[in-house]
Amino acid sequence: MVESLRQATSGTTFAPWCRLLARRRRRLMAGMALMALTLVSAIGLLALSGWFITASGLTGLLLATGVAASLDVYVPGGGIRAFALTRTVSRYAERLYNHDTVLRLLADLRARLFGVLVELDERTLSRRRASDWLHRLTADIDSLDSLYLRLLAPPAVAALSILALGGFLAIWSPAAGMVVLLVLGTTWLWLTLGQALAGMAASRRQVTDLERMRSGLIEELQGLAELQAYGSLAEHRRRLDAVEACLQVDQRCLGRRVAFGNALVGVAVSLTLALVLWLAALAHQVENLSGPVMVMMSLAILAMNEALAGLPMAFTRLGATQAAAERLNGLEASRPVAATREESLPAGPLGVTLEDVTLHYPGNLEPVLEAVFVDIRPGERVAITGVSGAGKSSLGGLLAGRLPPTRGRIILGAVPLGWPVPGSLAERVGLLTQRVDLFDDSLAANLRLAAPDSPEPRLWQALAMVDLADWAEALPGELLTRVGEGGAQLSGGQARRLALARLWLRDPGLVILDEPFAGLDAETASRIAPRLDGWLAGRTVIYLVHQLGEAVDPPSIDRAMTLRAGRLCETARYLSV
Amino acid sequence: MRATTEPVAEPIDTQGSLSPRPWLVSLAAGERRLLGLATLSGLAAGTLTVVQMGLLAWLLAQLLVAERPPSDLWPAFIALVAVLPIRALAQWGQEVAGLEASLRIRRRARAALLDHLALLGPVRLASRHSASLANQLVEQVEALDGYFARFLPQLRLAVALPLVILAVVVWLDWLAALFLLLSAPLIPLFMALVGMGAERLNRDQFSAMARLSGHFIDRVRGITTLQLFGRARDATAEVHAAADDYRLLSMKTLRLAFLSSAVLEFFSSVAIAVVAIYVGFGLLGYITYGPSAELSLFSGLLVLLLAPEFFQPLRSLSQHYHDRAAALGAADGLVALLNEGRDSLHPEAIPPEPASDGEIVSLSGVTVEHLGRGQVLGPIDLEVIPGEMLVLTGPSGAGKSTLLQLLAGFIGPSSGQWRRSTQMRFAWMDQRPLLILGSLTENLRLADPEASEIRMRHALSRAGLDDVLSALPEGLETQLGERGLGLSAGQAQRLALARIFLSASPLVLLDEPTASLDEDSEAWIIRGLSELAEEGRTLVIATHHPALMAMADRRLELDEGGRLVAVTGESDRG
Repeated sequence: MVESLRQATSGTTFAPWCRLLARRRRRLMAGMALMALTLVSAIGLLALSGWFITASGLTGLLLATGVAASLDVYVPGGGIRAFALTRTVSRYAERLYNHDTVLRLLADLRARLFGVLVELDERTLSRRRASDWLHRLTADIDSLDSLYLRLLAPPAVAALSILALGGFLAIWSPAAGMVVLLVLGTTWLWLTLGQALAGMAASRRQVTDLERMRSGLIEELQGLAELQAYGSLAEHRRRLDAVEACLQVDQRCLGRRVAFGNALVGVAVSLTLALVLWLAALAHQVENLSGPVMVMMSLAILAMNEALAGLPMAFTRLGATQAAAERLNGLEASRPVAATREESLPAGPLGVTLEDVTLHYPGNLEPVLEAVFVDIRPGERVAITGVSGAGKSSLGGLLAGRLPPTRGRIILGAVPLGWPVPGSLAERVGLLTQRVDLFDDSLAANLRLAAPDSPEPRLWQALAMVDLADWAEALPGELLTRVGEGGAQLSGGQARRLALARLWLRDPGLVILDEPFAGLDAETASRIAPRLDGWLAGRTVIYLVHQLGEAVDPPSIDRAMTLRAGRLCETARYLSV
Repeated sequence: MRATTEPVAEPIDTQGSLSPRPWLVSLAAGERRLLGLATLSGLAAGTLTVVQMGLLAWLLAQLLVAERPPSDLWPAFIALVAVLPIRALAQWGQEVAGLEASLRIRRRARAALLDHLALLGPVRLASRHSASLANQLVEQVEALDGYFARFLPQLRLAVALPLVILAVVVWLDWLAALFLLLSAPLIPLFMALVGMGAERLNRDQFSAMARLSGHFIDRVRGITTLQLFGRARDATAEVHAAADDYRLLSMKTLRLAFLSSAVLEFFSSVAIAVVAIYVGFGLLGYITYGPSAELSLFSGLLVLLLAPEFFQPLRSLSQHYHDRAAALGAADGLVALLNEGRDSLHPEAIPPEPASDGEIVSLSGVTVEHLGRGQVLGPIDLEVIPGEMLVLTGPSGAGKSTLLQLLAGFIGPSSGQWRRSTQMRFAWMDQRPLLILGSLTENLRLADPEASEIRMRHALSRAGLDDVLSALPEGLETQLGERGLGLSAGQAQRLALARIFLSASPLVLLDEPTASLDEDSEAWIIRGLSELAEEGRTLVIATHHPALMAMADRRLELDEGGRLVAVTGESDRG
């Protein structure tokens, strides 16, 4: 924990984020200046008022005893009014301005991080869990907002004001200035470093606890049918309760430490006040210090409460911010380097050649694909069969540029595939994945993902191709009907057909269909097959299916191969039906 | 625990709908003592502050007016220092008691929500974004924190403490007290005005946040597809736009939220300035009316010192005002969830009658309607015979899943009659088997918490997962991921099959159990199902698979409108 604090203070964890903040240096400086102005006004208001009251009190006493005395009431009066006004205005402006800055940064960060995510390859993607990502992208970035508004600006302004106040008091009493620097300076150190250390462990854990609770809840909500059926809901609830209990232990611990810090602020400020008052009284006794100044000094110290008040809360939770920054740093680091060259794949059907392609996931005992050699002519239709886990989907991933091979070369349309793949690959290669991703959006929006500018008639055509047009027409919202989370409002077969329709809207030279008819009844599949056949004409096609000749086969297969334990073998005689 | 009761489409909400404020009040009532303790501690801390200020003013007056040497005044200095730890303790007590109350309340609220969601059942939840819901249960419940921990105790303090201070100031100088009093009533008025706006905006912000996170998890889950269609850049821009919308919405909230504190700041600053000038002029003898003639340096200074303290509780309250707005916004969303009852999906779902002995489920003239989609199933007459294997066929979208959900009791019919045994356990398998983040053992024990290792191994072996088990580095204790990452779809489905073997459920409901599976997994599933049938379990399967259809005792065919087309009985048995 000390180590992580050291890292945090030396800035290695926060360095990239501070650099990002530095781009808006001017905005940040202006925000801090507003903060300081607010504080100065608060101190000035109280201190000047104290000075004025005492001065008038003492003058009044002199007047009462008949001594001729006078006091300029206009300058201090004006000062008091001015401080009162600036305190209000600068505070409002400061808060608004700084929050806008922070939210601007957040929007940038969110997009930037998503930009990182969409560049990750299949392997990195599949290692992470969807709910985990949600948390990364919202909570982590949100917790980084405290970097400037809570962790940088307030302690800086507080430290400056302690120095300034110490210097200001030293004009009249160097000893009082020293006391301010010593007591408030030490307090400042504790409120920042000390509180951070005290809350480090618990606040670091809190993020993971919340994340565990969130994924436990998603589990429970998504698996409610099975949990209820087996009567194991109570058991699952106990697991959730245990996570919540962990979370609350940490929250309690953090809350108590924050409360301690807050109480400490009050004690430290009042103690400084008592000490300074004592010193000032001694100085006053020997006539080195006037009465009004003595009061002004005391009241200026009282106003320091405001400068220190936010620190305990912010720094006790430093660990959470730090953990978030670390995770984000890790994510950025896992991004592949940007493509250096941009080759374009030729138009028309693409030939496919695999030379000695091996794919081995780190941590797995066996390679998924081993020494695969294959040559597919442009326009040829090949079916690759194999049981689950034989490597069909991995092969699809390789050809679609989703994964780099561990060894060997992939050549598409005479262009050897470099990693990361050229951007034109997405245009020229179409892949229907085994798991269909639909977005919680309208039917039209899901289709237009493939071709953003498609006019409505074309979308209807696409739906007709997969036999969904009648169904969609009967929906109250037609194309604007929302499909629900991951297409939950559709049946499995409908979702698959929609994904096929989406692919139909594109014009790839190589089409890879992973189990195109899975989940479809025979009748529907045989209705769709000829239309699919028409669209596939003039393209190279690879079907990935577990078995041929069982249900409805995909149309017009020229050649079939089988994947067995990562090796590709030509199927001896395949008779096209 | 209510959550453990059998899931039947039973009435959920009998006491009418809840609304956010009373709900928060009832939550607070549960922790009345801790919240009271927090208030009392705060009151003690505030009173001690007055004492401290009194000592300070007295000391200053003694030093300056009576011109006593500081060495004479040491007891007062000691007293000034001695007050500090006591006041600090009281302040600490206020925070800690509020925190404890809030922790307990959040735990209770979350439990109540989970109970309610469990009663709503899987079908009603299917249309909800589970990440949004989970977020609600995490974020919105956490958003209640500030309201109970800080706002509620502070609300009482904001009334009590200014009164204490006002009493002291009246005693010192009633005219100064009048200045404070005049500015004070305006404050709640302004804050109420500003607060009302902030509250509505805060609600908007919460729904924006839920939408934002829903949008997010959706895009993240589909990153593969976005990459495949080369839409990464557009999606990133979309994400930025969503986040920027959130910023604009937040700024709207904040502009108003900060306004309430600015109003207070203004009044407190003005009041301090007015008091300072009034006291100063009074001490100079410029003011000839009222009590100002009696002002001394002590009373003048004390009035000045107390002026900011008079506003301090209100200022703290306004800092916590967004806690209140956040809690109300969250309560709105949570209460809406609690109010979501049987009516959301089936306007008039009919509760089941208890089944007679030996009977499992029987339906007569049953139809099911979905909101916005009209009738999706029926009318259907069906009696599930114990020990039979019943296959449901029909084109996709014909309502096979709906019929299974009805048999499971996840939903009720819109018309017709049905009888269902309420105490019956059943097993459920669809195309998205549940994999919890935990070990293989934990995943298996979902079906039977008591299952021994031998039985688990046996069940895995019957589901054809022997090879997988032996390949796993830590055997049964190997950790699995969400949505079967780490297991292939076929393996995950076979794990679900192993769970059915482990459970003693007499009724097994299966929704397309072999869809999208490799031949190996498919063969294991089919073999497993026939073994289950031999064990005497009752199976109802929605499927297109010829092998399963051939195995069936009875076959029920539905058409696209969800109507029963044909029942093929015993004679078809192959």
